[in-house]
Amino acid sequence: MATVERPPVVWRGTPPYEGSRIPTPIPTVLQVDPSEHELEDVLTVNFGPNHPSTHGVLRLIVDLDGEHVAGIAAVVGYLHTGFEKTMEQKTWWKCMTYPERIDYVSYLNNGLVFVLAVEKLLGIEVPRKATWMRMCMAEINRLHSHLIWLGTSALEIGAISMLWYAFREREKTVELSELVGGTRMHTRYFQAGGLAEDVPPGFFPVCRDFCRQMRQGIDDYDTILTSNKIWLERTEGIGLLSADDAIALGQSGPVARASGIDWDLRRDQPYLAYDEVDFVVPVYRGGDVYDRYRVHMDEMRQSVRIIEQCLDRLEEMEGEPWIADDRKVVLPPRHELHTSMESLIHHFKIVTEGYRVPEGEVYVTIESPRGELGCYVVSDGGPRPWRVKFRAPSFVALEATATCMRDAAVADLIAIVGSLDGVMGEVDR
Amino acid sequence: MTAYDAVPGLVETKEAYGETTLVVDPARLLEACTYLRDEQGFAFLSDITPADYLGWGSSGVAGYIGTRDGRDINVPGTQGLARLPQPKPKRFSVSYHLLAHERPPRRVRLQVWVDDGEELDSVVPVWPTADWHEREAWDMMGIRFRGHPNLVRILMPEDWEGHPLRKDYPVGGEPVRFSGEE
Amino acid sequence: MALARKLPLISDRPLARAGLNSERVLWPDKGPGVFEREVEKLEDALGLTTVEKAVAWAQAGSMWPDTFGLACCAMEMISIVGSHHDIARFGMERFSSSPRQADLLIVSGRVVHKMAAPLRQVYDQMLEPKWVIAMGACASSGGMFNNYTTLQGVDKIVPVDIHVPGCPPRPEALIEGIIRLHEKIKAGVPPAYQIRGVAE
Repeated sequence: MATVERPPVVWRGTPPYEGSRIPTPIPTVLQVDPSEHELEDVLTVNFGPNHPSTHGVLRLIVDLDGEHVAGIAAVVGYLHTGFEKTMEQKTWWKCMTYPERIDYVSYLNNGLVFVLAVEKLLGIEVPRKATWMRMCMAEINRLHSHLIWLGTSALEIGAISMLWYAFREREKTVELSELVGGTRMHTRYFQAGGLAEDVPPGFFPVCRDFCRQMRQGIDDYDTILTSNKIWLERTEGIGLLSADDAIALGQSGPVARASGIDWDLRRDQPYLAYDEVDFVVPVYRGGDVYDRYRVHMDEMRQSVRIIEQCLDRLEEMEGEPWIADDRKVVLPPRHELHTSMESLIHHFKIVTEGYRVPEGEVYVTIESPRGELGCYVVSDGGPRPWRVKFRAPSFVALEATATCMRDAAVADLIAIVGSLDGVMGEVDR
Repeated sequence: MTAYDAVPGLVETKEAYGETTLVVDPARLLEACTYLRDEQGFAFLSDITPADYLGWGSSGVAGYIGTRDGRDINVPGTQGLARLPQPKPKRFSVSYHLLAHERPPRRVRLQVWVDDGEELDSVVPVWPTADWHEREAWDMMGIRFRGHPNLVRILMPEDWEGHPLRKDYPVGGEPVRFSGEE
Repeated sequence: MALARKLPLISDRPLARAGLNSERVLWPDKGPGVFEREVEKLEDALGLTTVEKAVAWAQAGSMWPDTFGLACCAMEMISIVGSHHDIARFGMERFSSSPRQADLLIVSGRVVHKMAAPLRQVYDQMLEPKWVIAMGACASSGGMFNNYTTLQGVDKIVPVDIHVPGCPPRPEALIEGIIRLHEKIKAGVPPAYQIRGVAE
């Protein structure tokens, strides 16, 4: 690894507006302030890409003055897999396998945003059964994501047994994915036009049972953590982020809602059928790690509510089509290939050349468990995308590390990074 | 939308798929961004996306030969494609996706077009979150931003040469070896 | 088992190589004693020596993995720690973050060129004997990413004992890979760095 010369550390500049805690001149790098810390006392430590915190390969270069964080810079790119370049070489259908691996914890939400973008360009109408099932699976995936977040973040702060509690419920989530999509993770269940397969028989009782167990599980986590004195001491008042700073830094999702910004794309810019379900958006004003924890817990409860409402509506849609009927985009059912020449030709063209998506550019955003997940797609009218860009909420959340870690101690570093809920696959793409 | 006519440096307004795109002169980018943030309420920068249009429509789509205006019955080779995509003004487009936190929310795409080697003003003073987005644009596409406080590579290793997402940069990788061949 | 101290070996038998030569320290010219002769006869009868078998059983019985979770496969690797697919049955629940204390490196996820150097550094810091499991398609061969930035298989930089296919492999598949590694060790197959280097 070649070393690159770094300019000497210097503090200069004025904050962007009155009362801002965003460091200057680089908003994402906290630099050592010589007026506050003796430069000889400052030790630069590398929290390298491989460290016990399970957020993946994040590298933090931290300047420590004793136990206090005097400077911090995040180095990313250790998981940059070149998704966007690779997706430009694949047909639209094959591209569906890629978005799920970007944010591997909320994989169905990533698949959803890409599919919504492609459908917007295609102008295809999705049957309502597919819409409701997509919503149900997206909420199950939100639970999966929050459970992993809870298990691993609590593990890092020291509440080790939370990992086993959270993964007990996480197993049930992936078992539902397996029942519906065929594999535990990365199911490729969302296709342009609807779903890859029908809702399987036996799904509804299993899912309702899951909702009941999930409710009990969330009560368990509440009992363990929410009023726990140690948890409160470790998380209250740590990692403060004000509402103005959060908007200036582009935060969204639980991080923004914990800082007092009442914004949720499911309620304010409804996609799928979120305007037809009842749920509450939790907002807290503290902006610390404890409030982010509370937002995640409340969101889990609301997700269970949404899933139950989806199940009620889906049960009425027994026997309806689960994918659009447009044969230029959607594969025909296999039994038709034996009897219909046109179906055979459509199947051949879609599989070999791929379906064509009309020329244009769209930017679609959804509320992923981490925040505003956006997908910018440019099509040239051909069978392959011209440009795909994913706006990853974790990428933006890591920009806020420098602001959140002012006045932090080393022990709080991991708690704050955990609370920002970064998934490195999404950050590096 | 008439609401956006007062954006400084506005060249063109496009509406498609329910989205508004404002094409702005790159020289007045900073003024336009400040106007949109302060006067129009777009306090939230969602994304900065560069796109490279080298080779756009030159070979037609999927290898078919069409004409700009569509199939011409008198030109035999144009039967395959309805039309070629519309040509783009310059090589790179940089799109700024903005959001105003209102109900209903307003979204707008601010787009500037640059050629290889042209620099853009950094919008970090307007939206601090642009820091990493612009670093990624520099790393992946090679678009320089004047006034950016820390324009270094972010995703690729620091000593990497080349800008991977450009169309003239190869995909790379290895040819797949099959066990049957030697 | 290689000995660090290179003492003259009286006999060529594994028992001596394994270190039962304290008398040799005091008496360099001493020949094998009655006990040693009897154990030699026993080793001949059993094939693989008892000491090596015992050592292999100990190595396989409580192998500590290193926390090298990179991407999606890491989620399934964490779930083998969970109570549903319990890896504590194999004595492996103690994931060590320090490579010095780890025996097994489970490379779970796609490795990119920027991460290749830290991966090799972690592998080098591990003490012998050490084993590597390439978990998933990306670690085994680059997976679905054949591009400028992804390493086409982690066996290009570290010697790999077991490749576990899948994208991501189920926790049961990973446990199957781990069990096969245990069987390899107990059968006496040396770790990969002794029999092969890295791929071309």
